[in-house]
Amino acid sequence: MDINITEDQRMLQDATRRYLEARAPVTYLRQLVEAQTPMPDIAWREGAGQGWLAPFVPESLGGMAESAQGAIDAAIVAEEMGRVVYPGHYLPNSVLAFAIAQWGSQAQRETLLPALAAGEQRGAWCFAAPGVDSGTAPDGVRLERSGGQITLRGVAANVQSAPDADLLLVTATDGEGVTQLLLPAATAGIEVRALDTLDLGRRLADVEFRDVSVTADAVLGAHGAAADCFEQQLQLALVLHCAETVGVIDRALEFTLDYVQQRYAFGRPIGSFQALKHRLADHAAQHEGGKALVARAAKAVQEQAADAAVAVSIAKSHCGRWATEIIRDCLHMHGGIGMTWEHDIQFYLRRAVSNEALWGSPAVHHERLCRLAGL
Amino acid sequence: MSATPDDTKDNAEEHAFRLRAREWLRTHLPPRRLQDEPMMDWADKALIARDRESQRALWEGGLAGITLPREYGGLGLDRRYADIYYEEAQPYRLPWHFGNAFNIVLPTLLAHGSEELKRRYVPAILRGEHLWCQLLSEPSGGSDLAGLTTRAELRGDHWLLNGSKVWTTGGLDCDMGICLARTDPTVPKHAGLTMFLVDMTSPGLAINPIKLISGTVDFCQEFFDDVAVPADHVLGEVGGGWAVASTQLGAEKASMARGWYEGLAAAVESDEIELKDEYGRMARSLGVHEDPRARQLIGEAFVLDAVHTLTTRRVSAGIRNGALPPTAGTLSSLLVALCDVRRSALLSGISGPAGVAAKPGEEGLQWGMTRVTRHRIGGGTTEMQRNGVAERHLGLPRDEADIADRTVPFNRRKVNPDRAQ
Repeated sequence: MDINITEDQRMLQDATRRYLEARAPVTYLRQLVEAQTPMPDIAWREGAGQGWLAPFVPESLGGMAESAQGAIDAAIVAEEMGRVVYPGHYLPNSVLAFAIAQWGSQAQRETLLPALAAGEQRGAWCFAAPGVDSGTAPDGVRLERSGGQITLRGVAANVQSAPDADLLLVTATDGEGVTQLLLPAATAGIEVRALDTLDLGRRLADVEFRDVSVTADAVLGAHGAAADCFEQQLQLALVLHCAETVGVIDRALEFTLDYVQQRYAFGRPIGSFQALKHRLADHAAQHEGGKALVARAAKAVQEQAADAAVAVSIAKSHCGRWATEIIRDCLHMHGGIGMTWEHDIQFYLRRAVSNEALWGSPAVHHERLCRLAGL
Repeated sequence: MSATPDDTKDNAEEHAFRLRAREWLRTHLPPRRLQDEPMMDWADKALIARDRESQRALWEGGLAGITLPREYGGLGLDRRYADIYYEEAQPYRLPWHFGNAFNIVLPTLLAHGSEELKRRYVPAILRGEHLWCQLLSEPSGGSDLAGLTTRAELRGDHWLLNGSKVWTTGGLDCDMGICLARTDPTVPKHAGLTMFLVDMTSPGLAINPIKLISGTVDFCQEFFDDVAVPADHVLGEVGGGWAVASTQLGAEKASMARGWYEGLAAAVESDEIELKDEYGRMARSLGVHEDPRARQLIGEAFVLDAVHTLTTRRVSAGIRNGALPPTAGTLSSLLVALCDVRRSALLSGISGPAGVAAKPGEEGLQWGMTRVTRHRIGGGTTEMQRNGVAERHLGLPRDEADIADRTVPFNRRKVNPDRAQ
């Protein structure tokens, strides 16, 4: 995270790390995986009870949005979650809390924000069409309006936490532009099809909308006017996603550095061989680069600076690519033990590879950067 | 692009200094034209002469050596005044050929020089009289600096230097050089070195320019044939040359991180990311701006530029405020080199065949093979930088062969048997 974080942010970081190490270390994820069970509701409620969503919720509804730096604070939390490959639902719920706080009606804010913040309701965000270019555009769901009635059709792909969600934020398009809606996951016509995931700590689903009919009071903000809201939500999501990836790399490099100093071969620690040392130096340098980019992205998004759109795509490209490259090599440096089911590095690599591909691969963000540069 | 200097934090004295500097600079220094004039070009004798004049003028105008002690010709002011000066100097060309003298030699001289040497050589830099070079690398080795073989022997009131130095920036045009030589081959390599101040016009010193692949001739090779150096021109202790060299290398690294002769990095910078027009212009001129493969590479180039800039800034700010250990500097130097290597590949990838075969007079060839001489070798090879990150920052153990080489007397270390004397 930023080297200039405040004293409050330092405390948030320490408290989050302590909580996650005590209550959700990576061995907890292993237990869930081996028992073939998703994280229980009560565990997410306990986590949310730490105040993780408070930076987005106004004080009048029990949060601390006025005194917090939403995107930066949330990135600090997300990075800690990356260190333990946390299986909870932090990213989508942060995006929902942010969106509802920003653009929700009084009624939407009062009914939904406290419930999300307490972990009693869980959200997911549906927007992207399936495909290799998926992840950065609201191209999955079409909307039709006739009178007071709205009909939704289409498929939103790879929706994070959808199998566990009570509440869906849907970003859809029609001839008038981009519109967002909030609806219960149990609405008739919605089918949530859970996917098999490489990342064993994350549940994704394709969400199909089959002529889902809702009334206009489900709309978040104004009809046809949410293109900029979508972009802001996407930027926040990318900051959290990248911050988590930085945490994943951070911890994997830490235990790999320990390992190469403890493991001896040919009468000396394998970490004294330049063949390993030089690769680890490159990894540390690229990792520092990722930290610098994510710090800038969080700040730019928080301040809605002119470079926010650029900063998140740059961070996503860099972190995505290097997380996979670095952790794959960390696994290699562990030798045989790194290939075994019993070693935790698999969870780190699974999340790194998934994070590279989801929310727009590096290739998708390179193209987005060209467009942002007017090319 | 120069931002408007922030003068709201000035007190009355600082503000008076700012106004004086602003007016003086406006009337005495040439404008900054980095688009068509390099910061340094040692083949451009007129530019070097102009920098000498500018430095002389700065001295006469009372703006040289702002933070340096008064007894050595400086103004003895605090850091804030130097910041003000560099803010005001943004629109002008500063005498950048004095970069080595100011960034590397001055701090080293102040840290290790005798009172006499400081009183003689510091003001000579401020007055624009002495350009300085560093005589460090040798034909027999660059990375293994402490393994150098140029020898110095004491003959009464002077030392006699014999050997050869190479990769000396501006050797032909510099007046003075700071030269590391071996004074005792019977002790381990780091312990037998001494630093000398050498007059570059000394009899017996031959200087040859080296032309690089790019056609530039910034570097020289020197041959020392019984070059006499006065006994009092030793910097630091006899046998203590490595400590002096460490100060010197540290100063070089710090100045590279900060921006040459300050001036550049001292600009009032916003931390916003800007996407450079350069790639779009290049792609359009080559007609590849709509090609999806080229766009992938251009997108990656934007990422590299941001990583380069933001990491350098993060690390230097982090070291300054204590959030990062000083060893973190190794991370940004390595990353800058890695970015440069990759950027070179991206540029040739974007340009494709146009980068290797262009119609006479048309654009293209300048993109085919860029930056081959930069960063990856100069200022410490990437291999040395990797050792630096791994051993100093990450705390990984040294290689055993390296430990052996550091502890054996210099004249008994392992050498190539074909070259053994």
